[in-house]
Amino acid sequence: MGKIMLEVNNLNTKYVTRQKEDVYAVNNVSLQIEEGKSVGIAGESGCGKSTLALSLMGYYFAPLHYISGDIIIDGRNISSMKPDDVRKHILGNEIAYIPQAAMNALNPTQKIISLIQDVIRAHNPKATKKDIYDIAKERFELLGLPSEVLQKHAVELSGGMKQRTVIAISTILSPKVLIADEPSSALDVTSQKMVIKMLRNLMEEGLIKSMIFITHELPLLYNVTNDIMVMYAGQIVERGTAKEMIFDPMHPYSKGLMGSIIVPEASIKNSKLTVIPGTPPNLKHPPKGCRYAERCKYVRPECRMQKVSEREFSKGRMYRCVYSIEELKEAYADE
Amino acid sequence: MKNMIKQVFHSPKFVIGFVIFMFMLLTIIFYPLFVTADPLDMIGGLFNKPGTYLSVKDVVQADEYDLKINTVSANLNFISNEDRQNMADWLTRFGNVKKSEINISDVAALVKLWNKNYNSNADQTGLLAAEKQQYIRLNDKINKLTSSADVYIATKNNEGELESNSPLDSQAFVNTKDILNKKTFILGTDNFGRDVLTELVAAMGTSLKIGLVAGTTATLIGLILGLLSGYVGGTLDDFIMFITNIFTVIPSFILLVLISFSVGESARGVMLTASIIGITSWPWTTRSVRSQVISLRNRDHVNLSKLSGHSLPRIILTDILPYVASYVVMAFILQISSGILSEAQLSMLGLGPATTKVSTLGLMMNWAMAYKAPLSGAWWAFLPVILAITLISFSLNLMNTGLDQVFNPQLRD
Amino acid sequence: MKGYKKYYFNKIIWYVLTLIVAVMLNFLLPRLMPGNPVSAIAERASNGMTDQTAVQKVYEEYVKTFGIDKPLYVQFFQFVINLFKGDLGVSFTYYPRTVSDILAKSVWWTVCLQLPAILVGWFLGNLLGAVAAYIKGVWDKAILPAFLFLSNMPAFGMAILLLFFFGVYLKWFPTSLGYGYDLNPNMSLQFVGSVIYHYQLPFWSIVLITIGGQAIGMRSMSIYELNADYVKYSRFLGIKDRKVVKYVFRNAMLPQITGLALSLGTMVGGALVAEIIFSYPGLGTTLLAAITGRDYPLISGCTLIITIMVLIANLAVEILYGFIDPRVKAAQQE
Repeated sequence: MGKIMLEVNNLNTKYVTRQKEDVYAVNNVSLQIEEGKSVGIAGESGCGKSTLALSLMGYYFAPLHYISGDIIIDGRNISSMKPDDVRKHILGNEIAYIPQAAMNALNPTQKIISLIQDVIRAHNPKATKKDIYDIAKERFELLGLPSEVLQKHAVELSGGMKQRTVIAISTILSPKVLIADEPSSALDVTSQKMVIKMLRNLMEEGLIKSMIFITHELPLLYNVTNDIMVMYAGQIVERGTAKEMIFDPMHPYSKGLMGSIIVPEASIKNSKLTVIPGTPPNLKHPPKGCRYAERCKYVRPECRMQKVSEREFSKGRMYRCVYSIEELKEAYADE
Repeated sequence: MKNMIKQVFHSPKFVIGFVIFMFMLLTIIFYPLFVTADPLDMIGGLFNKPGTYLSVKDVVQADEYDLKINTVSANLNFISNEDRQNMADWLTRFGNVKKSEINISDVAALVKLWNKNYNSNADQTGLLAAEKQQYIRLNDKINKLTSSADVYIATKNNEGELESNSPLDSQAFVNTKDILNKKTFILGTDNFGRDVLTELVAAMGTSLKIGLVAGTTATLIGLILGLLSGYVGGTLDDFIMFITNIFTVIPSFILLVLISFSVGESARGVMLTASIIGITSWPWTTRSVRSQVISLRNRDHVNLSKLSGHSLPRIILTDILPYVASYVVMAFILQISSGILSEAQLSMLGLGPATTKVSTLGLMMNWAMAYKAPLSGAWWAFLPVILAITLISFSLNLMNTGLDQVFNPQLRD
Repeated sequence: MKGYKKYYFNKIIWYVLTLIVAVMLNFLLPRLMPGNPVSAIAERASNGMTDQTAVQKVYEEYVKTFGIDKPLYVQFFQFVINLFKGDLGVSFTYYPRTVSDILAKSVWWTVCLQLPAILVGWFLGNLLGAVAAYIKGVWDKAILPAFLFLSNMPAFGMAILLLFFFGVYLKWFPTSLGYGYDLNPNMSLQFVGSVIYHYQLPFWSIVLITIGGQAIGMRSMSIYELNADYVKYSRFLGIKDRKVVKYVFRNAMLPQITGLALSLGTMVGGALVAEIIFSYPGLGTTLLAAITGRDYPLISGCTLIITIMVLIANLAVEILYGFIDPRVKAAQQE
């Protein structure tokens, strides 16, 4: 087992809406990522993936608020740090974030090299322009980006190029953890491939020590990440290796998600294409029991009554359900 | 629609603007019903101060009432702080009085010192001639206030000689309600002697009318051009936009001046001035309408109508106009506001409507300046007018911002 | 860079075209309406202009310069040719001074007053808007609305207010002219000091009412930009707010520059009337005197000069904007 880069214990965060109501968006999330590994987080829109991503950064911009839990990056517990220190020392260089629709994340009127200067100087005020330029050029070339991009303004680049530039900038300080939120979702297939390749490259070169890859596109995860976590209504409902999760999911929701994948593979052609009816619960008043109960095919009365805790049935393999593993296998066999 | 109206009236900016505007509008409508005097009647003199004017003859002949008030000391207290300060200044500078001997709050003592030491012929080096005159006037004022000399009212007796019974009792007062011939000028009179308040209300009405006519004209022209330009597109659009851009850059103010001047003074009535303002301010509305129409013309419901074979006027009327309506209303409000302002500017240059038959806010300003009201200190001749213009403009702009926030939710804060 | 050249070339051509239209209007409008110059002169004569021979001379001069006995299009050519020669005719009221001579002096005063005033007002207004959007508090709740109220006052209204309060009541500043009436224009310290002294009230009249309008616009733009994605992203990269805010306001300013160009025409109109209040020796006072005296050539000259000034200012702003906003450069390269 390698060094643990990111350890999250029972993280709870909430949104406060304009009407001053609390939305409990992240509930009791725990995870671990080892050095050199990447974890994918899958789930439908609105399940809290992006909120989790923002929560993991350790710095909370309104209306996001921290409730409880630990976030430990390479042995350092950032939840107990003062926010200003987090902003100064952690954001950007220990943990980095690639936002959704990264094309809009760049200031249209600023040169790329200028932004890189700002990033590097924010953590190392004494860096000289020349050094920064050298670092940037080297890194860009390593990642397969032309160095001319450095002198351009964001508005002069194409969508795919902007996305890859954002990835390069986010990782320029070689963070320990990279959180990529839907990094390829808004792109054409070719650009998607380039983005994935770039991320893999970053991992292989050791420029990032671990990665969280968030997406709603499940097929991607099999090729990109080591482990996969499925998220539903702010909770992690199942976790395992990519292979286990794609081919043998345990939780009813994971099963439903994987079943709704359209994958052009001969063996899958004959299996049923399922759709999960219903909608996620209102997180302003989260249900007492299982959050998936309303849409679950196998729901029982006790599902709504008691709090559902995580069941770990083998190393690194976990699901959150009232049913024991034998009961689940039995229920699936009856189909 | 009803929901939108409800939203509009919940917007605080709109409501405040609306209330102010309504207040002024209602004043314009109802004031003349109560005060039927002709606003252009020249009753008073040049810049009479605000206040109530009593017929002196009536006062002298009215019933007297004895009030136990010491008018002499009361008069002393009427000497303003400014005057007292001036007296103190003169005394220390030229009257050989030490600063420590002067107590501004003790008027009686101050006046005594003044009467003892003031001499208009004393050496007052450093004072301008005008300033010396001011002190002489101050002295006269003090003397008048503090004099205990008797005042007599004389009448002719049978032999044609003037005779008087006794001096006026310094503690004799009259009740203003007994005086029949009086006139209250709440805001004084202007240079022509017109009652400023009555004239102001009438002027607001006229200016508002001008604003409305100008606004309607400009909005209509802008709407038609914008609709055509935006919907038909192509060369018609290019042509209209070309003209519009030119007229955006050439200052409309200049066009206003040129046209108003060329039309000539005798022809310039209220309506004509308003029309001129209207036909020089359409570019802005045209642009606004056009951009909205362009974003609309490829919407589904429009394409549907096109496919159904509806005629062009019908499409424009039923599919596009309702969505443009909100912009048009906002533009209209702003045009009213700028129309009133333009009229004021024109009048200040002497290019406004002819003066004798009507009064507008701009004309009132023009006359006040021509007769140097600020220099005479006649604040009532121009301050209320400026306030009126500002308030009308402000309330209209507030309403417009409120409407903007309702129609474009992303502007809400 | 080639794209750039095309962009600027097009702009300049457009402005030249606009100038031509302006000149045509300047020529046509007074002549198309009733009350043409000839009858104006005749009216003066019948109104008892002091010197009959002077009237005759004025008439002759006018006919000579503008050839009013010839058909309209010939007159127009004469007009344009005269323009190029710098000959705008002879003033009726200030005979025998030429219009160009009168304008040459007035233009300077106006430009030196209005240009800085409009720029300072624009700058302070944007500053206020930015502060109101970012720091909020009393700036947003009290100071901005106060200036917003003031901006609804016509320029001459503020001028009269300042004149009355600071000039007449407090006697802190002079109430008219551009410099002390007992001084002659020269380069001495005394003269310059007098100019600056007389400059204050007219200057601040224009500035104070410009602030409000700019502030409200900048505030909206700033709020919009402050919520933009790139702001959030920069923060997540660890960049300090201070740096980010600089970019936000730079982006928010860009539309404000265009806005400045669009409102220049209106602002100048208002400022001219403000000049009149102070009898400031600029184009405003000259225009008023011309209108009062029905002085055709002078009115024509004034309006033309003002139009040209506004056009040049607009062009300058547009050129400046092209340099500042990289999106313009990008659009040209497509």
